[in-house]
Amino acid sequence: MDQLLALFSSELVRSGIRLGTPIILAALGGALCNRAGVLNLALEGKMLLGAFVGILGAYYLHNTYLGVLAAGASGALVGLIFAWVYLKYNVNLIILAIAVNLFIAEMTVFFMRTFLGDVGTWSDPSIKQLPDVAIPIIGDIPGLGAMLSSYNWIVYSSWIASALAFIVLFYTKFGRHIRAVGEAKPAAETVGISVARVQVFVLVIAGVLCGMAGAFLSVGHLTLFTRGMSNGRGWIAVTAALFGFNHPIGVFFTGMFFGFADAFAIRLQTTTDIPPSLVQFIPYILTLVALILVGARAVFFEYLARRRFRQRAEREIAAQGSASAD
Amino acid sequence: MRKIRENVAVPILAILAGMVVASVFILMTKTSPLAAYSKLFQAAFSCESFSRCNLFVTLQLATPMILTGLSAVVAFRSGMFSLGQMGQLLLGGMVAAWLGYVIHLPPIIHPLVAMVAAMAVGAAFGWLPGILRVKLGVNELVCTIVLNNIAALYVRYLINFPLRADQSTTAHSPLIDATARLAVFAPASKWGTGFIIAILAVIFVHYFMSGSRRGYEQRMAGEAPLFARFGGIYSDQAAVRGMMISGALAGLAGALLTLGVYYRMLDGFEGGVGFDGVTAAILGAVNPIGTAIVAIFFAGVRQGAQVGLQFAFKIPRELGGCIIALMILFVAADKLFKDRLDDLGRWWARVRRRKAVTEEGA
Repeated sequence: MDQLLALFSSELVRSGIRLGTPIILAALGGALCNRAGVLNLALEGKMLLGAFVGILGAYYLHNTYLGVLAAGASGALVGLIFAWVYLKYNVNLIILAIAVNLFIAEMTVFFMRTFLGDVGTWSDPSIKQLPDVAIPIIGDIPGLGAMLSSYNWIVYSSWIASALAFIVLFYTKFGRHIRAVGEAKPAAETVGISVARVQVFVLVIAGVLCGMAGAFLSVGHLTLFTRGMSNGRGWIAVTAALFGFNHPIGVFFTGMFFGFADAFAIRLQTTTDIPPSLVQFIPYILTLVALILVGARAVFFEYLARRRFRQRAEREIAAQGSASAD
Repeated sequence: MRKIRENVAVPILAILAGMVVASVFILMTKTSPLAAYSKLFQAAFSCESFSRCNLFVTLQLATPMILTGLSAVVAFRSGMFSLGQMGQLLLGGMVAAWLGYVIHLPPIIHPLVAMVAAMAVGAAFGWLPGILRVKLGVNELVCTIVLNNIAALYVRYLINFPLRADQSTTAHSPLIDATARLAVFAPASKWGTGFIIAILAVIFVHYFMSGSRRGYEQRMAGEAPLFARFGGIYSDQAAVRGMMISGALAGLAGALLTLGVYYRMLDGFEGGVGFDGVTAAILGAVNPIGTAIVAIFFAGVRQGAQVGLQFAFKIPRELGGCIIALMILFVAADKLFKDRLDDLGRWWARVRRRKAVTEEGA
């Protein structure tokens, strides 16, 4: 029991929040794209590019914040290219995403080997990690403050971005346009919404968010870059977006959930002798369960709707029958 | 005619465009792109002698890629965007490796049993996302990617703990029996019976998809599910069946890798063959024969990038992957080429008309 209690500590919460951050950021981007009717499966690639550009930016510009900015810009650029190719040449989004992911995965290693020496992991002592910043009032609350304060700016921006996305999506005209494009593209076109502008916007924003998520991996959490650093987090983000029903607040909590599952797995690994690969299963099994639950929910609601429709139809027929009998 | 022109000309133009754009990366390493490409293709498809032959290595590399490519073809044609080839290949290979040393059977029968078991496991691992898609509407793409990770972790666990052969630095399972190994054609490469099996699979998939009633059902389920439904085809069943055949083919690819190349299961066994198969299927116009040709070509690019570029010019072998990704990007943007082809066709028609007019005038 003591061992089990030792698993839950403020350190677990902190590492859960840290591990959840890149997933939340990327999943928000994915959710926005889904809302606007563009399936964005290139989250993984954009995140990897963000990690790479983030650490290079921090190294060459001698400022970690500029590195993060560069990472966001690189993601935005990929999003822009993605949108341009998609809208101009009507490319299949899935094939496009496969190509982008493969290209970035191979290109980062190519550049690392060509310009940074023939290594699998690259780092430089001059690169400083993104500093932790304490929140003034919340940080002073005993107990809770230790869990909620003293993170770097990317962590806070994942929280701010979730709230902002929620407000924009549901309380602004532009947000209504985004949802309209996703739900009924021809209808949105008819009322004069520029579908292309909305889709370009969400793809660029998703790129920025993924780039920041990547930068968090390379300069926010550690100060190094390894090949394939995003390591499937982009795909987890795709599922987190679905699991959170493409709702920013839902996405925030599912992202946190995956982060905590990951933190818990690492914790179990260090405190017990369960084989690591079995523990690493947890997030993926959860993802699979999440997918099944999301699907089951949709099927269940459809069943309910059908039943309600049938019952109403039966009632109406019965009412008509009795009316004609009179 | 127009269809053939598009299906052949578009991939070739995409390949050329991909190579042109990739030259930018070659120039960054201060090498001439022409020299690099000639070295790449020479290293991939040349043959010095029977015992030292790069082409055989390329064909060996292409063997599992052809099968994962076919797996993608069957899935895509059935309307399922399955990317689960990697997981199915790993599990199939694992089962084949396990049966290779656990049971003892006479030659020929032993590899056959292992291959059938691998195909069964692959099919089961394809059935799951298929049935989830059909019954619950779970996105098969995301689902297969998650299943890939689960399979990879499971296989890593198996070869690290219960099935670990010895305490060497890289985890691997015990060697399979000599009776279970597939025959090799030429020394210095593992090009062998597996390639014949892959070619047989190409022929099978070709006739299945375009020559049989079931194949017609598969294609209808993929291209026009509602039409198929009205025509009395159970498109759901056909989609699940497509996923199972797709899984079985990927499982077979894994079995050929263990029985014909590595003779055991080890870490890093997959090496990107799953995704390369998918890309080969896309560039090969989702056609079995086209996919096989592209798979051999891609295997050549990978092989040439490794032994040609990396050894001779010190260009990282990842350039091969970059070239493949660019080709996929261009083939996805096929509208670009189709428009150009149409322009060209119109221009040619105009030239011919003008010629006819002047001849008449004369």
